[in-house]
Amino acid sequence: MKHMYDEEADVRTTALIRVMALFFVGIMIIAATTSPIATGTKEGERAPALEGKFYNGSGWSDFNLESYWDPTWEEGDITGQWVVVEFMDTDCPYCVQSAEEIAINANDFANSDNGWDGATVNFIASVAELNIQGHDSSRAEMIAFRNKIADSGESCAGSDCGSRPGAAHNFPYIDDLDLDNMQKWKVSGTPSYYLIQPDGIIAWSSAEHQGEELRDAILSLVPRESA
Amino acid sequence: MDPNLQLMLYLIPTIVGLLLVLPFGRSLVTPFAESYPSLGTERGRVFFGLILTCIAGAAVSFQTLWISSKISEGGNFCSADTVFSCDDVIGNAEYNVDPIFGLPWGGIGAATFCILLYLVYSSSKEPNASWVPLHLRLGVLITFSGFFVIALLVYYEFQMEKICQYCTTAHLANIGAFIGFLRLMRMDDTKEWNDA
Repeated sequence: MKHMYDEEADVRTTALIRVMALFFVGIMIIAATTSPIATGTKEGERAPALEGKFYNGSGWSDFNLESYWDPTWEEGDITGQWVVVEFMDTDCPYCVQSAEEIAINANDFANSDNGWDGATVNFIASVAELNIQGHDSSRAEMIAFRNKIADSGESCAGSDCGSRPGAAHNFPYIDDLDLDNMQKWKVSGTPSYYLIQPDGIIAWSSAEHQGEELRDAILSLVPRESA
Repeated sequence: MDPNLQLMLYLIPTIVGLLLVLPFGRSLVTPFAESYPSLGTERGRVFFGLILTCIAGAAVSFQTLWISSKISEGGNFCSADTVFSCDDVIGNAEYNVDPIFGLPWGGIGAATFCILLYLVYSSSKEPNASWVPLHLRLGVLITFSGFFVIALLVYYEFQMEKICQYCTTAHLANIGAFIGFLRLMRMDDTKEWNDA
């Protein structure tokens, strides 16, 4: 049987079909072999970078949040290092009030010495200077707040920084006075908390759980030996 | 497979394509001109070089998109302590997407090279069609716009003090494609276009 072909057919259609097929094969291979996770600050997303100099009690050095992550970590593994990031301002009254609770949590979940049989939870504070009248912060103020230094001459939310409630903090304080981290993480107010899994994925954020306490989130999400 | 060895799969066709679209590419294809007559003409050679460049550009862009997806899972592909570390560039959440729509650069590259491939492939199949000059002009326009994107991405690399060798291969493919489209556009409507 003799076939008739349309010699005048526009080659553009054939070319388009072939190139589109190539494009979709490429996309399908990527879709089949990867499971990309978006970077962001919502639960289930990969935590963005947190940069700046941090104070650890002795001096200021470069902070690298990624150094905490373990890409091989699997759910339920209690050997991983969890991270709580607190965005705060030393002149925010509620941050001053919650300093005691944070000190207790940081102490309770840091290691097994306090009866905690779960994965280690590291606390990190990213300290901002909000653009609000009366919120004038500095590194000296951050140190006075963190170490609870009395009569330092630094004022935190209208009172001596050393008079804030709770014990001194022993976790890193990152200088975010220029608000770089706060803007990158799209934090709307202070204090804001993020609980991050050892693989760098955000497990819980206070912005998505209004009214829920950070302590309850840690107790429900961080794996424990006894659970 | 070693990522730098794998890169050769894209880099070699890109360089061959780039050489073929250049005026002195004729000497490269002389031994093959008898078996592949289309390579014997200037137009045929530039078309072939351009198609090769666009395929290599699309392939390396797909690979870049794949790398960024893998890194987002928490894995790594070509991380290195040296200045050549594509993981550091492609995995940087701040720079690995376009600043307007937030689309990954690898995906933009793959789509762009597929469009270029369509323009050149359709033109090569019917070189005397009335729409060929339009396709060639569009090719020049798209690849010329690509230079601004390359400038932005190279600026990002300077910021990070790292070089992504996969991205650089895609940039090279864009340069080759620009030269190819420009040469074909100038050749069109000249005697050389229809030389046997």
